[in-house]
Amino acid sequence: MTGVRVLAAGAALALVLAGCASKGTQNQTGDTVNLGASMSLSGALEKEGKLTQQGYDYCVSTVNAKGGVPVGGRTLRLNIDYQDDQSQPDTAGQLVDQFNDKGYHLILGPYGSATTGAAMAVIERNGQVMVDSSGADDKLFDRGYRRTFAVLSPASVYAVSIVNAINELATPKPRSMVFLSADDGFSKTVAAAGEARARSLGFSVLPTQQFPAGATDVSSALTRIKSSKPDVIIGSVHLAEGIAIIKQAAELGVTPAGGFAETVAPPTPDFVTTLGTKANGVLSSSQWVPEVKGSDGFFGTATDYRNGFRAAFGQDPEYHNAEATAACLAMVLAVRKAGSTDPGKVRDALAQLDEQSFFGPLKFNDRGENVTKPMSVIQIQNGKLVTVWPADQAAGRLIWPGAGG
Amino acid sequence: MSALAQATVYGLLQGGLLAMIAVGFSLVWGVMNVINLAHGGYVLLGAYIAWELHAAWGLDPLIGAVTGGLVMFGVGYVVQRLLVNQIVNAPIFLTLLLTFGLQLVLVQGMAVVFSADYRSIATPYASQAFTLQSFGLADVRVPYGRLLAFVVAVLATAALVVFTQRSRTGLAILATGMDRTAARLMGINARHVYALTAGIAAALAGAAGALVGLVGTFSPPDAARFTLLSFVISVLGGLGNMYGALLGGLVLGVVQAWAGQYLPGTWVNAVAFAVLVGVLIVRPAGLAGRAFYEARVEAT
Amino acid sequence: MSRSAVAWGLAGAVVLVGMIVLPSQLYTGQVRVVTAVLMFVALAQAWNIIGGLTGYACFGQVAFFGIGGYATAVLMEHANWSFWAALPVAALGCAAFAALIGLPLLRLRGHYFAIATLGVAEGMREVVTNLGRLTGGGAGITVPTVGGRGTAWLGNDGFYLLFLVLAALAVAVAALIGRSRFGYGLRAINQDEDAAAAAGVNTTRAKVLALTISAALTALVGSAYAFQQVTIYPQRLFDVDITVIMIVMVVIGGAGTVLGPLVGAVGLQFVSEYLRQHYPQEHILVLGAVIMIVVLLFPSGLTGVATRSGMLATIRAYRL
Repeated sequence: MTGVRVLAAGAALALVLAGCASKGTQNQTGDTVNLGASMSLSGALEKEGKLTQQGYDYCVSTVNAKGGVPVGGRTLRLNIDYQDDQSQPDTAGQLVDQFNDKGYHLILGPYGSATTGAAMAVIERNGQVMVDSSGADDKLFDRGYRRTFAVLSPASVYAVSIVNAINELATPKPRSMVFLSADDGFSKTVAAAGEARARSLGFSVLPTQQFPAGATDVSSALTRIKSSKPDVIIGSVHLAEGIAIIKQAAELGVTPAGGFAETVAPPTPDFVTTLGTKANGVLSSSQWVPEVKGSDGFFGTATDYRNGFRAAFGQDPEYHNAEATAACLAMVLAVRKAGSTDPGKVRDALAQLDEQSFFGPLKFNDRGENVTKPMSVIQIQNGKLVTVWPADQAAGRLIWPGAGG
Repeated sequence: MSALAQATVYGLLQGGLLAMIAVGFSLVWGVMNVINLAHGGYVLLGAYIAWELHAAWGLDPLIGAVTGGLVMFGVGYVVQRLLVNQIVNAPIFLTLLLTFGLQLVLVQGMAVVFSADYRSIATPYASQAFTLQSFGLADVRVPYGRLLAFVVAVLATAALVVFTQRSRTGLAILATGMDRTAARLMGINARHVYALTAGIAAALAGAAGALVGLVGTFSPPDAARFTLLSFVISVLGGLGNMYGALLGGLVLGVVQAWAGQYLPGTWVNAVAFAVLVGVLIVRPAGLAGRAFYEARVEAT
Repeated sequence: MSRSAVAWGLAGAVVLVGMIVLPSQLYTGQVRVVTAVLMFVALAQAWNIIGGLTGYACFGQVAFFGIGGYATAVLMEHANWSFWAALPVAALGCAAFAALIGLPLLRLRGHYFAIATLGVAEGMREVVTNLGRLTGGGAGITVPTVGGRGTAWLGNDGFYLLFLVLAALAVAVAALIGRSRFGYGLRAINQDEDAAAAAGVNTTRAKVLALTISAALTALVGSAYAFQQVTIYPQRLFDVDITVIMIVMVVIGGAGTVLGPLVGAVGLQFVSEYLRQHYPQEHILVLGAVIMIVVLLFPSGLTGVATRSGMLATIRAYRL
């Protein structure tokens, strides 16, 4: 018996050493620029992770079709190595370390604020560089990190844009608003900023109702606000809660005089396909719409991007795709500007980047946030997304009141 | 007051559906002493089947529930017969492990085949509601979709009870659950009976999944949530006790709804677990009294 | 000392020295992988004390993990403690918590104990999520590691050593308990609790002590984990998956033994890491299939594989 046990111990030790002996793939081959991406290929954020991956893939195929990434005097092929972080922040951090081992110093962001936050800490320690495509929580940028740059507008802009749009366009102007917020960090930041803006504009803001992130039953929150009869209900949510709000509001007879608005959820195709006509009239903010102004050498204008994406994937892009492509584009432009793939030089190039693109302006403040780019406000009309604000992007008029199918 | 009444009604309706999700889990646990961690996966699979039927042929989720139930019966039967029966005599950890692995395979398999999109089965009537005001009662809205799910759930549970207590097969299931050796000595094919039980449990789970699709949304991560719910309700109601599962589901639904009215919305889940732990400490046999489990005689 | 004990001691020392030297041979990412393995070795060993040895399957083990982690984070962030001061306090606090809930809960048997502890773990997650001012709620809490506050982050190699120490501690505690009178009492409770009580074992005291020790060890690991991750969230620190993985490791390795959890933790973690790297799209599916196959073919765990005929006899005995 003892012999067997010693054998098992030896096997365990051998496993440890054997596992360590696999050192992974070797250094970058000379004619490719390798980017590492920790992605939610499984777990709670799988759907959004796949959208982000699509955006990254589209960037790779387009850039390579145009000859590749110009680095110094040559052009190199672009390639992205994906690893699954299972939507877990600690795994994302570990993956970034593993990318570093492989010699991948240029990293594209994972999906979501929590995973991006974990990756940012590791990036900073290792001296890598990351372009963030979907981590919008302003608190991430309070930490003073210098090596991560976010192409998307920060969380505080999501609901503020909607409030501004309602303030400017809605007639008759609503008097009261209420925020229904999921309790994750991003949603709370969005709601807090939105509330502050609404109050400063003179709207009466009812107490915010919170529910667990990912909840598919928000009936408690809706039942509580029903008797207060708010004019506008703004959901600071993700897809699951967003769908639940509209559905259950219909069930419970909660019909705000002005209408509904939600962050993140409405632009995703599942929202419209799941809710059908009930989705009509819902407002939302988006990081990108096909009416965005600006163009670049790889993707052209926003409309060109939409057409190209449609041809490649058979469906229209939504903003998760676009922000991912934009992040990849920013990295490519920085490498081109730096003339090298050295992380220090690329980092400096990103800090000084000031370019137009299909996504709008790409320019970062000293916290690494892209504050020059506004968010657009859209409304679902007849099952389609119509940009209604700001004025220079508006493709249609705001339908007000928006509530009702 | 009206808000509380609305919450109560809504919670009851929700609770009925929760009960249907859980009753199969409770049955399997009570009769076979098997904790099926893949139960949530069965619910989800039923939902996807109903969704596909609706997408392809426009079939109403109720028909989808019946179809899903039948398909899942087959799945549950085969899984039990071929896989779980192999380790029924082993320490309970092993069935946990096996069903855990099965859950991983099922859920990830569904994500690959059906994609991780959030889905819901949209019907024109589900979100419409009538209001009790028209009966002279408070202004409480009763959504049709949830009412339908509730009625189906209660009927299915009642049918299950009738089946187990009145039919030969049902009695065979109960007998095997009480004393497997004695049942075999009486000529009952325990392997078949176990597989039958698992099949029935899976069928109910699958049908419940279709109803979930009718009233809300579903996506792969929900499977774990369904399993956890089933745990809580089964224990609340007493293992293997089907009326208990119904009662447990209703209690859970109502308690959560009330908590949602008087506490900040994020406390709802904490309350559910507090109730669970409290019930276990005070009355381990569950709310409905006699636990099936304690009546079992195990041959050593 | 018996020859077997000497042999084990030597083997253990060799492994320990080897493990200390190992990081110098690995890249950073690999050091992190091995660190995760060490963490699970410690967790699995801790669970084994209450679950495998005593037979009380605690489905809520992650509660201790989370309490340890959050206690440390809160003490460091709000009370400005150093990590080294917070670590033992978090473990002691969690031990006290375990003793407190152990008294009513350990009166329950079998499945009821399991589900009650699960309820406690899930409930703790909800409580932590709701105490936003203290814990940051769903937005997470960040441990201060820079700017003169808190304790400087240990570095990947530093955490490797920390978790190595914790793993060695857990293995040592498990081994000591296994060979002690206390351990025999626990085994007796596992086999037949009433007979054990009749034979003079103070079952309540023994069970509560086992749970307390298990909780303290788990809390230590949770503390170290919180420090390593820097920012922690309730969904992860109280994730029921962590408990499940712990149990899977113990059972795959062989419950109730000292070597079992070790083998199970190392084996499963490496297999899942390998699968994740080479099959990024389907690794979970393959992992599930692997687990099922292992359970069906090796039902008494990998360390229970004494002889081939013994294995087949076990398989036949387990089937219906």
